[in-house]
Amino acid sequence: MSAVTEQRLLRRGGVRALYAGNARAVVGRGLVATRSSNWVVMASGFFEPVFYLLSLGVGLGALIGTVTDATGREIPYAAFIAPALLAVAAMNGAIYDSTWNVFFKMNFGKLYEGMLATSLGPLDIALGEILLALFRGAVYGVGFQIVMQLMGLNLSWWALLAVPAVCLIAFGFAAVGMGVTSYFTTFQQMEWIMFVLTPMFMLSATFFPITIYPEPVQWFVMALPLWHGVELIRGLTTGVVGPELLVHVAYYAVMIVVGLFFTTRRLRALFLD
Amino acid sequence: MGTASLTAEARAAAVASRRFGAWFVAEHHLRVWRRYLGVSVATAVGTPFMYLLAFGIGLGVLVNANTGPAGVDGVSYLVFIAPALIATSAVMIASDEFSYPVMQGLKWNRVYFGMHAAPLSARQVVDGLMIFASIRIAATTLVYFLVMAAFGGVPAATGVLTVPVAVLSGIALGAPLFAYSASLREDRGQFAVMQRVLVLPLTLFSGTLFPLDQLPAFLQPIGWLSPLWHGAELGRVVGYGADRPGWLIAVHLVFLVVLAVAGWRLAVRVMRGRLDT
Repeated sequence: MSAVTEQRLLRRGGVRALYAGNARAVVGRGLVATRSSNWVVMASGFFEPVFYLLSLGVGLGALIGTVTDATGREIPYAAFIAPALLAVAAMNGAIYDSTWNVFFKMNFGKLYEGMLATSLGPLDIALGEILLALFRGAVYGVGFQIVMQLMGLNLSWWALLAVPAVCLIAFGFAAVGMGVTSYFTTFQQMEWIMFVLTPMFMLSATFFPITIYPEPVQWFVMALPLWHGVELIRGLTTGVVGPELLVHVAYYAVMIVVGLFFTTRRLRALFLD
Repeated sequence: MGTASLTAEARAAAVASRRFGAWFVAEHHLRVWRRYLGVSVATAVGTPFMYLLAFGIGLGVLVNANTGPAGVDGVSYLVFIAPALIATSAVMIASDEFSYPVMQGLKWNRVYFGMHAAPLSARQVVDGLMIFASIRIAATTLVYFLVMAAFGGVPAATGVLTVPVAVLSGIALGAPLFAYSASLREDRGQFAVMQRVLVLPLTLFSGTLFPLDQLPAFLQPIGWLSPLWHGAELGRVVGYGADRPGWLIAVHLVFLVVLAVAGWRLAVRVMRGRLDT
């Protein structure tokens, strides 16, 4: 058999050629690495949304007073902004892990080349790295939920579901983030990520209701993933729950599937083809 | 070529480096800047518009609805935050340029050692980065100022002074940060941690989006220590003629100058320790 046909056969191998069913090895390695090197960095990420909540919820809350929610109820500004900050924390936790970390591992550590030289396939690596990012998002989410509870900003028992919602959001962003990162080759290009994330952070109905914008802007914002995350968690923590929350869940389900597919293909193209 | 003329040439070069060394270093940084100019320009132009949209207009609707015609500090919300946003961008650039790039020059590409062998003194290496950062901050905050002014965010004629005030605020935060970054030998994520537990609180609790006295008393001292609060308050004085007592204006200025000068001197000392060995 010639080398070319052999390669073709391998490429047609479907999932088995990509996935050895051992993503947990990648997760385990990541956890050990976190414990030994950058747990302080990880822990400090928890404080970011808390600082935002203290500054904006309290300071800006004093200027703004209350906000009218979807059902016409007046809620304190801090209770309005806290779920948005929780969604942002989930996004940031996932993005930092799936972009900066992956960038270093890919370009400096040459970690994935090493992993692919074992029985692990690109899907193991993609899934393992994304699960790590997910774990980080979940840790931030639980910590922030506790802060919200202590500050009396959870207005409903539905808030308990905010933790799985945080995981969903983190999963979506991590899946896409890793694939995108694989295109970057220099430090400076990484700033493009902030260039995309910061406007999304500020415009996704985070600080004020989306109805303030003119309608075309509203449609644009509603296309952004973070808006769906903010609305999902805000619905849960303020207790405005309806079938529209399932639309947000579906958005993330699609984002996860597309992100995983795209990242796996990229890893295969980069390292195996 | 005779030995005499070579010696003369070397002497001339030495004189040039003694006199203009800091500017040579600044030129180096300016040339490196070209490599990330794309994202730098995109951010410099895009961010003020985004701030305008998100804070000036979006948040402004909420704030103005609540405060009524009196506004915040006697002016509309946009006018109140514009000088503070200009100062914020300065502080952000400073925290960018004086963190990772310093470690890069000392550890990863070791360009500072190259400069020192050139021969430039440690002081010139420090001064050069300070000059470059000031240029970058001035250029960016000028763009911010123009965008804000175009939307009526800076009513007073003295408003253009928000640009030098922003440069001073940036250096007041950046110089001590430079000294700290230069003292690090290994990257163990200190920059990420510092960004979150130092720079971010100094930014959030510094009376940018709301007057500092809206915060509970125990959080206000964070603002007093923040170069950004002093810079934002000075910016408000020149930006819309905010009514502040003379002594407080003096405190703002002195605090920023002392921080900038002390940080700068400390940075020179630390860099001497690293390079002159």
